[in-house]
Amino acid sequence: MCAAVALARSELPLALLDAPALDGRVHERGGEPEVRFYWRAAPALLPVWLDGRIQLARWGNRDRRGRLPPTGWTWRETVEAGRWAELRAEPVVVPATYCLVGGVWFRVREGVQGLAVRGRDGASVYLIVERASRYFRVMTRTDWTPALVNETI
Amino acid sequence: MVGHLDADCFYVSAERVRHPDLLGKPVGVLGNQGACVIAKSYEMKAAGVKTGTPVWDAVKLCPDGVYLKRDFRWYEVLSRAMLDAVGQHAESVEYYSIDEFFYRAAPLTRRTGYQHAAAAVRDRIRERTGLPVTVAIARTRTLAKLFSDTAKPNGCVAVTDIDHERALLARLPLTEISGIGRRRGDRLAPYGINTCLDLADADGGLVRRLLTATGHDVWLELNGRPANPINPARIPHKMLGRGGSLGGAVRCPHLLFGWLVRNLERLIEELQFHRVRAGKLSVEVVYKDAPGGYADAPLESATDRFDLLLDAARPALRQAYRPHAAATHLHLLATSLRRGQGEQLNLFRPPCPKLEALAEVKRAINEQVGRFAVRSGATLYLPREIYADPAHSFDVCDIRGKVCF
Repeated sequence: MCAAVALARSELPLALLDAPALDGRVHERGGEPEVRFYWRAAPALLPVWLDGRIQLARWGNRDRRGRLPPTGWTWRETVEAGRWAELRAEPVVVPATYCLVGGVWFRVREGVQGLAVRGRDGASVYLIVERASRYFRVMTRTDWTPALVNETI
Repeated sequence: MVGHLDADCFYVSAERVRHPDLLGKPVGVLGNQGACVIAKSYEMKAAGVKTGTPVWDAVKLCPDGVYLKRDFRWYEVLSRAMLDAVGQHAESVEYYSIDEFFYRAAPLTRRTGYQHAAAAVRDRIRERTGLPVTVAIARTRTLAKLFSDTAKPNGCVAVTDIDHERALLARLPLTEISGIGRRRGDRLAPYGINTCLDLADADGGLVRRLLTATGHDVWLELNGRPANPINPARIPHKMLGRGGSLGGAVRCPHLLFGWLVRNLERLIEELQFHRVRAGKLSVEVVYKDAPGGYADAPLESATDRFDLLLDAARPALRQAYRPHAAATHLHLLATSLRRGQGEQLNLFRPPCPKLEALAEVKRAINEQVGRFAVRSGATLYLPREIYADPAHSFDVCDIRGKVCF
């Protein structure tokens, strides 16, 4: 699974940078600091382009609340089969500078394709995944890849 | 005086030019199969990652490292921009490799020296391309190449007096010289030759006896006597080859045949670009768990035609094939290259206008539409992405004009 996405700090809007939800998520590995969004973090959050701006949303439904699928990812085939239609899921972009898959951080040009489901208490975002290329399989030793925006690794 | 320019961790620096967020981070660029680190930043090197380290080992050494897929098209753009910038400073420039050039160095003005000239080239490259490079100027190309390594990263050095030259050579082990590895070093060690200065001070006759004429040329260059000229144009190829890793262990003969055909089509492109025909063809297969296979593919006459070369390569592959063994690399090598338009006709194989026309149509379509738009059906045995992903259709060896390879 995609265990985390990271966004260069400068990519986040100023309004979000001071949000308490980002406490403990800013990391440095040299150069510009980045904000990391781990699936295992509590709460699990993702940045997402929604309503024309970057917002923070719940990453899937790790807590198994309500009727949403209890996961953080969905196969492209599931989306294309219309299985998300009744939840009125909408396609979104999760902006990302780096992704973590199989313990390997790799650079992403624009972000990851996702699905957002809106609820009374905000949106939940699922990352779309698809079968990995041979290159990606060798690189990360995983059989699937997050569906990247305008990019294949 | 000769200038040597060497880009600092070039592939990583090229990625940083278009992705500035990578500056200061440990970065590794992965090779054609996604398995090995082919270039690493100084930050990643400090963590113990070396060129050739598999990514799964690199991640253990440097868990915070960021990895990227190589993009030779982008690297070529920057490489040629560097070449162009150096060309504005020097009359004669040798495109040695994608990230290394030699050039005829001269002071910018009568009042300024070589150190200033080296700094000017380095700064010009940074300004034009955003790339950090190191520049050294010395009496010969061997000396300039050795000294640029001492000034990395982003340095510049001009070594114009003999004392400075000898002081630097005394600090450099023999193996720093390109072409002198551990085995050659071991051959010289009993004679007390351990550093570059030891080699420079050794008897020329002894060096020739131990290291042949090539080693003698190195000895001359270490003593400031140019033996290897700067080549502004590439010397015509004596051989052309295509091949490489198969991206894992290949046991299926159909898949192996698919790789043979892919590499043959790449080789034909190269033959046609250089306007040469192959007089000889050979096939080499490397196995993980069996001795390598090698076979010559006899050709009745020199050719660049797909059907004739494939007719020759097919039985050669059969000879090089080891049933059930895991093939990891396959190489095709064209030698005895014939130049010029004239072709010796063969009594037993008359010209075939239809096949000639077919080859021409294939070449024309691929030139206009894109590489491998028309290709042999045998390549369908290969994984789909080999052709679907444009990154796989351009390798470092496809960057033409380099002297190195």
